[in-house]
Amino acid sequence: MNPMIRKELRQRMRERRGWLLPSLYLLVLGAVVTFAYFLTTNERGASGIQGSTVGVVLFLTLAYSQLGLLLLLVPIFSAGSITIEKEQRTLSGLLTSLLTSGQIWWGKFVSSLLFVLLLLVTSLPVLSMAFAFGGVGPWEVFSATLTTVIILACMSAIGLYCSSAFQRSVHATAVTYATVIAISVVTAIVFFVRMAMYETGHRGQAVATGGGGWYQIPLNIRVPMYLNPFFFLTASFAPPGQLYPAWATSACLFIAIGALAVVLTLRNLRRRGDL
Amino acid sequence: MIDVEQMRKSFNGTRALDGFTLHVGAGELFGLVGPNGAGKTTLMKVLSTLLPMDSGTAEIDGLNVNAQARDVKRLIGYLPDQPGVYQDMSVREFLEFFADAFQLRGARNRAAVDRALERSGLAGRSETSVEQLSFGMKQRLVLAKTLLHDPKVLLLDEPATGLDPLARIELREQLKRLQAEGITILISSHILSDLEDICTQIALIGGGRNATDAEGHSVLQLRAPQDPVRIYEIEVIGDSAAAVTIVNSLAGARTLESSAGKLVVEIAGAEEQAAAVLRALVVAGVNILRFDHRALGLEERYRMVFREKRP
Repeated sequence: MNPMIRKELRQRMRERRGWLLPSLYLLVLGAVVTFAYFLTTNERGASGIQGSTVGVVLFLTLAYSQLGLLLLLVPIFSAGSITIEKEQRTLSGLLTSLLTSGQIWWGKFVSSLLFVLLLLVTSLPVLSMAFAFGGVGPWEVFSATLTTVIILACMSAIGLYCSSAFQRSVHATAVTYATVIAISVVTAIVFFVRMAMYETGHRGQAVATGGGGWYQIPLNIRVPMYLNPFFFLTASFAPPGQLYPAWATSACLFIAIGALAVVLTLRNLRRRGDL
Repeated sequence: MIDVEQMRKSFNGTRALDGFTLHVGAGELFGLVGPNGAGKTTLMKVLSTLLPMDSGTAEIDGLNVNAQARDVKRLIGYLPDQPGVYQDMSVREFLEFFADAFQLRGARNRAAVDRALERSGLAGRSETSVEQLSFGMKQRLVLAKTLLHDPKVLLLDEPATGLDPLARIELREQLKRLQAEGITILISSHILSDLEDICTQIALIGGGRNATDAEGHSVLQLRAPQDPVRIYEIEVIGDSAAAVTIVNSLAGARTLESSAGKLVVEIAGAEEQAAAVLRALVVAGVNILRFDHRALGLEERYRMVFREKRP
């Protein structure tokens, strides 16, 4: 086993946030799902609603809120992991050992991603509530989980890049949060503004935005949304015939950005000029 | 063992090393002195493979530090000027992790850690949290870490900074023991008396280049490792002529200066030889007031080299 992974996991689980964050995460997630449940059943009346509808609502609420929460937590785990070595002056010890830059990166990446995945796993009991109501199949759960993992892995890689590029954890974390906001919020704002302008320009013509209609929107307007994690997650719920190409496009983009972040991080670690 | 030729290294246009040259023989305890910003830490970082040099060559045991960095890492132990530790680990966990990082697994890992704990005097504190160690103990722990993989060369950048006098004495004794084990040590320090006590030679560095003293020496010979020569001051009551005659009649001893009641004597060999000279003088009836090892004046020589270069 890579010594870095063992060290990182040992240190991470000893931190107070090692148990505090999963507890808070579950509390928030449980509260959101419970709120969604009561909202759904109250709106339609307990007798007039099908269990499968409640199941779908709970599942979608869980999937989106889980992604939102984890996007907020990823920078905490990844952006400080290399800067902390600089701050406590232990990076030179790692770089003059026989550990390669790749091993150091992999240790940091696995430990930060594993902790986020631990949060995903701890939410399984909440997810089982959605299953109990029906309307959600294993495929939906699998594709949503896979999509979430791809997004989190990409964001972890970006966080590690920021961590390798900056000297202080606070700066690396701030820039990683800025990146999360840029891809989650700014892309959506850009898309909706340009969409509104496009619709104004084409008043009278029907512009559908769901299913096959998504591809009727000009590519230059659609492009920012392929980088949006919530759109990526939405694409994973659609039947393969409709939004599946969008999911594949987003997946390729996220993996490419993640890979670029890995290359740049390794380059920074090998340059070592900022020790 | 360490061969540096015309090493150059710049940071954003500022030359940290500007053609520095250094040769350290195997088994030597070699000092490196120079003012702040002279390039000592940069040199240490290049030799420890942390920084690539811009031009020149640097070899350790015949291995190029740029091209054969991984092999060089197996040979060297590097102690940076401000070494860090993982506060949330125990002493043993800290050493186990770095032994693992040097690919020492299983029984070899345990053996290396146990040996490092013994060498550093931390065996009784192996389960103590690193956070609870004093500064001096942390320094000993980091030095123990650098010795885990039995390096042939130690690169120590200001290892005595911040240590109390007792810890400095312990460090000096430990470095002497390591040199006796055959490890080549390159040490930079601002504490000249420490270097004077343990080093065989000292290189002068200033402005990234080899600095020279008034006689044109860029390396100050303190004593040869196998044949130490020490200077002693002897103060006697009465005429010193008898003492001069006795000293000059002894093998390995000669009088450098003599004046009324005072001699400066050079004695070659180990400290036992000095004891023999003292015994001979006492037996011959010379009344001795003082018999002192005279510092070699590294501080004076340092001042002469670097003071006049200050703006």
